[in-house]
Amino acid sequence: MRPVTQILSGTALLLGLLAGPAAAETVNLMSFPVLFQERYTKAVIEPFEKANPGIKVSYFGLPSSAQMLGTLRAQKAAPQVDVVIMDLAVSKAGTDEGLFAKLDEAEIPNIKDLVPEARRPELAGAGVTFDNLVLLTNTDLVKPRPDSWFVLRDKAYAGRVAIPAMPDIVGLALTVVLDKAEGGQDPLKSVDKGIAALGTIAPNVQTWDPRPEVYAPIVSGQAALGVGWNARAQLNHDISGGKLAAVLPKEGSVFQVNTINLTANSPNAAAAKKFIDYALGAEAQKAFTEAMFYAPSNAKARASVSPEAMARTAIGSSDRMIPLDWIAMAGRRDAILEQWRRRVIPLSR
Amino acid sequence: MTAALAVAPTTPRGGSPVRPAAGPALLAAIVAVNLLGFVVPVLNLLRLSFLKVEATGTLRETFDLSSWQAILTDGFYAGLLVDSVRTCALITGLTLVLSYPIALLIHRCRGTIRTLLLVLVVTPLLTSAVVRTYGWVALLYDQGLVNGMLMALGLSAPLRLMFNTVGVVIGLTEILMPYMILSLLAGFGRLDPRYEEAAMTLGASPWRTFLRVVLPLTLPGIALGCLLTFVLALSSFITPKLLGGGRVFLLATEIYDQAMVTLNWPLAAALSMVILAMFGLALVLYGRLVRRIG
Repeated sequence: MRPVTQILSGTALLLGLLAGPAAAETVNLMSFPVLFQERYTKAVIEPFEKANPGIKVSYFGLPSSAQMLGTLRAQKAAPQVDVVIMDLAVSKAGTDEGLFAKLDEAEIPNIKDLVPEARRPELAGAGVTFDNLVLLTNTDLVKPRPDSWFVLRDKAYAGRVAIPAMPDIVGLALTVVLDKAEGGQDPLKSVDKGIAALGTIAPNVQTWDPRPEVYAPIVSGQAALGVGWNARAQLNHDISGGKLAAVLPKEGSVFQVNTINLTANSPNAAAAKKFIDYALGAEAQKAFTEAMFYAPSNAKARASVSPEAMARTAIGSSDRMIPLDWIAMAGRRDAILEQWRRRVIPLSR
Repeated sequence: MTAALAVAPTTPRGGSPVRPAAGPALLAAIVAVNLLGFVVPVLNLLRLSFLKVEATGTLRETFDLSSWQAILTDGFYAGLLVDSVRTCALITGLTLVLSYPIALLIHRCRGTIRTLLLVLVVTPLLTSAVVRTYGWVALLYDQGLVNGMLMALGLSAPLRLMFNTVGVVIGLTEILMPYMILSLLAGFGRLDPRYEEAAMTLGASPWRTFLRVVLPLTLPGIALGCLLTFVLALSSFITPKLLGGGRVFLLATEIYDQAMVTLNWPLAAALSMVILAMFGLALVLYGRLVRRIG
């Protein structure tokens, strides 16, 4: 053989070996990193790969939904990501920009088992996890366990409160919850009562921008009280040996939804659809709720999750949950952000 | 030791001069890199600032002036600009005052001591700004080292040293000091101890010698250091994010929020253009100053 032919045939052989038996398909999943990635891999991805030996799921973690959207925009012409799990409001922007393909019930049969809030016609994807806003407390510093959001303005905690301010959606969610608690009617029209309530909390606030996330300063005791999301708070409770507690106050809370989306022109669409169907199915949803305490979006899973895990989600407290349309709320966001900057944050200086 | 080389006194050296014809060829590489890595992205950013964005963050490929309108009409952004310039000017001033004596000392040292001092100045640059900022968090928080010492000395309540402008100024001043010291040293080339000796011989007091001889001769270094520090301060966002506690609104942190949280890319792009204009202005001022110094 001539040298060129030798090299070519050698390369071909090597590529053949690398491709391995039966050329496994890869689904590229983009979602939240660290804790979410670790738990999701164990509870959902590994069982899926076991059930589908021909498919591998490769996980790409990014810290925020906005960064995921940025990645999708940059790859619009040649997507390298097949499936994205991100915040519902951001997935609306992705849907409107044509970055996602509409999920089809015929191809993803588990969609029919989803609760109505997880099936929004204006979204290409479907709701996959439900989270809710919680009050965070450091159990050494805050005794007894509070049951109201208004402990945040207790003078005993001056300079010890950590709240992620708007534009973070924790700030927006808290505005809605406090508005309702103070007698507000429709957050889509006015949140004046919520803003006024935040003004009474502001003097206690140590930081409006807790880093890296709100949970760390509460666990370390740098802050005594905070506001965050239930699933991550529950996990931090377990990891910190109970130093952090998540409280669902009596005035109620709001749900936040993450959606699962199929990238438009996904290079591995068939395998990606299989994965999405599995992720929306009762088995995966039950496993992930028991692993990380996100409430399932699948009605069948809600019936089968262990009572202990279910008690650590807000599903059992539905009567206390305040309905909030995040997509409609996005239209009000800039105006509310301005109120925060003029009437809330200056009161904490 | 590239840093040591960079700040070595500039003395003309021997060697064959480059032929004029080779000039454009030598510049081609850097021109290409700048075109691809700077000019094209900046033009793209400028285009982006004229696009339409919907409340959900949806980006539309239609011409729209609302980002620029917001910047020009909403008082918040004018305030943001004034606050940013004021805070960064304060940081630049503090950095200069703290760095100048160190630079002067290093300039006068020779041999091993000089190398050792230079290594000490450069070492912090080997650690990321994020890590150094977290170091400041540990020092400045209510139960931190600084407040612990002050309380031990009899202070009744901890001082609020972070999660406000004070924290941002402290953190950025320390983080930017190495850049200031190296720039000062680079501009100290004309400072020769013999001038000071001559001034003293002619009867000038040390203070007068400093004001009339040392300071004018070091002005090029001061101008360069201030330009670099101001520009770096204006564009840093990690330290203000970590030490500002959400109370300090600066141009760079606002760009981050608009791009990464609110998803308003056009507004973030327009604000980036404003920062770029500020850099241009700082450069023009620097150019004029250098020409006047001669």
